Formats: sequence, structure tokens, C-alpha cells
Amino acid sequence: MNSSSWLWRTIGISSVLATLLLLAGFLYAVKDVIAPASGNPWVSTPDGSLSNAAPTTSAKEYNIVSLGDSLAKGTGDDTGQGFVRRAVTELQKVQKLPVKLVNNLGVNGMTTKGLLPTLNEEGVQYVLRNANVILLSIGGNDLFQGAQNVQTGKALPTYKELSSEVEKASLRLKQIVDKIHEINPAAQLVYVGLYNPFNDLKEMRIPGNQAVAEWNLRASEILNTYENGRVVSTFDIFTGNTKKYLADDHFHPNDEGYQYIAERIVQGLR
Amino acid sequence: MNSILPLIKNETIKMMKKKRFYVVILVLIVLVPIFVYAQMKIAETNREKFNSDWRLAVRQAITDNQNSLQSARVPEEWKKYRIIYIQQMKYYLEHDVNPQEPGGVGFTRQFMDNAATLFIPLLIMAIASDIVSSERSSGTIKMLLTRPVRRWKVLLSKLIALLMFVSLIVVSAFVISYLISGLVFGYKGFNIPVFTGFKLNGSDVDLSGVHAVPQWAYILMQCGLIWFMSITVAMLAFMVSVLVRSTAASIVIMMAALIAGTILTNMASAWTSAKYLFMVNLDLTNYLAGTPAPIEGMTLGFSLAVLAIWAAVSLLISFTVFTKQDILN
Repeated sequence: MNSSSWLWRTIGISSVLATLLLLAGFLYAVKDVIAPASGNPWVSTPDGSLSNAAPTTSAKEYNIVSLGDSLAKGTGDDTGQGFVRRAVTELQKVQKLPVKLVNNLGVNGMTTKGLLPTLNEEGVQYVLRNANVILLSIGGNDLFQGAQNVQTGKALPTYKELSSEVEKASLRLKQIVDKIHEINPAAQLVYVGLYNPFNDLKEMRIPGNQAVAEWNLRASEILNTYENGRVVSTFDIFTGNTKKYLADDHFHPNDEGYQYIAERIVQGLR
Repeated sequence: MNSILPLIKNETIKMMKKKRFYVVILVLIVLVPIFVYAQMKIAETNREKFNSDWRLAVRQAITDNQNSLQSARVPEEWKKYRIIYIQQMKYYLEHDVNPQEPGGVGFTRQFMDNAATLFIPLLIMAIASDIVSSERSSGTIKMLLTRPVRRWKVLLSKLIALLMFVSLIVVSAFVISYLISGLVFGYKGFNIPVFTGFKLNGSDVDLSGVHAVPQWAYILMQCGLIWFMSITVAMLAFMVSVLVRSTAASIVIMMAALIAGTILTNMASAWTSAKYLFMVNLDLTNYLAGTPAPIEGMTLGFSLAVLAIWAAVSLLISFTVFTKQDILN
């Protein structure tokens, strides 16, 4: 009898306390969700900012960051590596220092227009500050978004349209490169040049090749203003070889195509 | 009131003697270490991949989610989860706050979030499902009802005892998770800021209501909401226990309803009137975390109202049936 009395007292008191605590939490939660603004007694305002955070990567390593479009992401590569991870592997073969992929910020469908505002994000800037090699692939979607309509049967872009797109997008490319250099002036910046994925289509071969050549020239002009900048050419790999080196979607490189791009990137790195 | 207290005491002691509560505690003590171990493994892989720099890991998670947004194979309704996740992570990054700061408190917050819809209701059912039906299957109900006490008082005492244990279970889930995970992750983290107040407006994330609360306040709110949900589940299980003679059947009925809820929330966004079902509304902590509700038009107020109505109706049915029914063999 004594023990059950003790049991009842403990359970009674603790359950009443638990109920009161939970009820308070419940009321507080309802208030906080329904009227978040009205004077919360427990608001804590974090004053930290990512712009003050120091990079954590070591200077004695190759810290690779890639950003840009689906090529940076590796779309079309059956192994999922893309030129980024292939470049990491290849670079490790020839370098003694450890090679690390810090982040791959490639997003499918990314254009120069889309990339520019993301460079203002503190998270992206922090990632870039952690790199000493930055691989950039952008512009393909700006130029060829229209041409991807080839499967849907819409009209193909003319040379004039492509050329005016080169004009506009290359201005944004300059802003992007300037911005990256501003964020991390010490890193080597490698821009992966464009190829013409449609050079096996009669109507797209010459206008496409011309536009891509113009684009790559612009890109070289922009990158060459910086000591650490360079353009890796990919145009020649795919010319006449689209069947061999492009994936089934007829737009992205396949495993082999990515491998060649990666090897070229590594050849130029120091 | 004087005559009901001894009845509650009686019920409470019965509950302890049946050892149901110990089973609940034991289940927690066995399962929590398993989750802790899994979490530890995740933390380990992240450390290898990102030099233990959470900022890089979070930024990569943002990109990965952006990529799945571009994919045509991801259903539209899943995309809104990704959209809000991306915005939340960007917000954490901008304020330089680690959304998954390792620590016993952070683990417990995650654990309670995941346990809210299925695990905790299951523990509640372990004690609620046989509270009346077991008296009938064992025949002891006759002893109970031959006493000079009104039937509704007998039932009320059982209900109050049940609610006492509901509170105890929610609090024990927190305490056990905190104590065990703290062994591995440390006992710190009560004051880490957690952001709450994210809202989805169409495909945009509304950040106007976002504010940070210390983690202990967040967990308090979380437990409060889980408690409310648990009470609803307890009352429903209570009703089933009154209606069904066999304990096994009453557990199966409640389990089926709960599992149907998890399945429905994953697929029912097209069937909007499903939002009036109680099991779709159990995940109250979603409103705190800013995860979009499974069905368009659900808000915290709405879910609370739905749960309250279900609970009230099941109480009404329990008391009507219990006071009127004949007790046969």
C-alpha cells in the first residue's frame, strides 16, 4: 500500500507539471505561428554574417569549385562525374598536392542571366573564397536555348538571332568574370569554351559555328584581361564528332566528351 | 471531485502495474540509440566531404535541390518543399547560422519532428488502446461497474489517467532522446537560434514573418504541438477502445488510420476534402518548421480545429456508448 501511494504521488505530480509545461508550449506555439510579429519575448537575433567568415580550406591543396550550367553539373555523363570530377581525378594524377572538390554549383539550365544574381549570395561568395581553382561553364543555354526546339519542331534560330544573343550574353559574361575576380582575385579561373552541339544539322552548322566562334573570341578577350584567367577550347573536340562525343540528348557531352574536356582543363592548370 | 481522485489514483496504479508505460520507455531507450548512430554516420560522411565546414555542405545542398527543381520528373507538389528548403538554407547561410549544429539538443529537435506523426502516436496507442477493452476482455469491468460510482465517472477517471500519461510520454520522449544523444553529441545547444515563420505564397517564399527563436523555445513549442496532437490520438484510441471488445482489434484500427494518414499526405494533394480527416492534420510541427502543408488551404488554425472536433466527437461517442451499453459476457 505504501509503495503504490508513493507511485501515485510521483506520477500525479510529474504528470501535472508535464501537462502545464506542454500546455504553455502549445499556447506559445499557436501565438508564434499565427501572430509572429507581435512582441515575442524570446526572439534571438543572430548577428553573424557569412561575409566575415574566413575560408576553411588549406592553401596547400588544390581546392576546386565549379559553377555554371549543366556541363559543370555533368549532365549526360553516365557515370555522373562530368568534367569537374574527371578533372579532379586527372589533376591528382599529375600533382603531388592533394586535390579536392570543394563544391560543384552547376545547375541545369543555368544562363548568364541566372548566374549573375547568384554571385551576390553570401553563400556562393563564401564557397568561391574557399577555392583556388574555379571552373566556369556558362553561355551554352543563352545561345542554344532556341535551338533545343529542334526536337519540338519550332523554328531554328538564325545567325542574326544567335549573333545578337552573343552580343548581349557576352556583356553579362564580362560582369560574371569581373565579379568572380572581385570575390577571389587569387584563384585560377578556367572558363570552359563553347562548342556547337548542332554542327551535324545542315541548317545549324554554319550559323552555329560562326556564333560559337564569336562567343569564344569574346570569352577569350574577357578572360585574358586577368592574369589568372584562361579559356579552355572545346569547339574542335566536337566538330564533326557529335555522334561520338555527345550524349543521347544531342546537347550535352557523353562520358568521352567530358573526359576530353577534363584533360584539357588539367593541361592548363598550374 | 472528491470521489473522482481515488478513481484516478486507482487507474494510474493499474496502468503502472500493467507495465505499459515501462514498455513505452523501453522502446524509446532501445530505438533512440539507433537513430543517434545513424545521425553520427551522416555527420561523419559530411565531415569527410566538406572538411567539416557546414557552410560548404549547406551550399551544396542548395545546389542539389535547385537541380531537382529543374528536373521534369519531379512532381510539382514536391517542388514546393524544395523551394522552401532552398530559401530556408539561404537564410541560414546569410546569417551564418548552422541549421544542423551538432548537439544533443539539435538532434532531439530533429527526432521530435520525425517522431511526431507516427512514432509518438504509436506509443500513445500502446497505453490508450486497451484502457477500456482490456477490462472487458478480462471481465474486470464488472467489478468496476458494480461499485457505487456513476459510469461516467469511471470513464472520466480513465480518461484523465490517460491524459496524464500522454503528457508523461511526450516529455519522456524528449528527455530520453536528449540524455542519450547528448552522450554522443554533447549536451549543449539550447541557445542556438532556429528560424521559424517561413510561409509559401504560390511559388514564392514569404520571408516577412521569419524570426529566430532560441532552440529551447523552439522545442518547447514543438512539444506543445505534439502534445495537442497526441491528445487527439489518445481520445480517438480511447473511443475505439470503448467500442471494440478486443485490444488487438482496437490497436489495428488505430494503426490503420495513422498509416493511412501518412500515405494520404504523400498523395492526396489533388483530393482536397481529405484535409478534414484527422490523420492528415497530425503533423502540426510542419507549421513551425515552415514545411508546406500537404493540402492547399491548411493552416495551423485549421488543423487545430479539425483535430479538436474529432477529439470532441470521439469523447461524446465514448461517453454515450459507455453509459448506455449493456455489459454482457
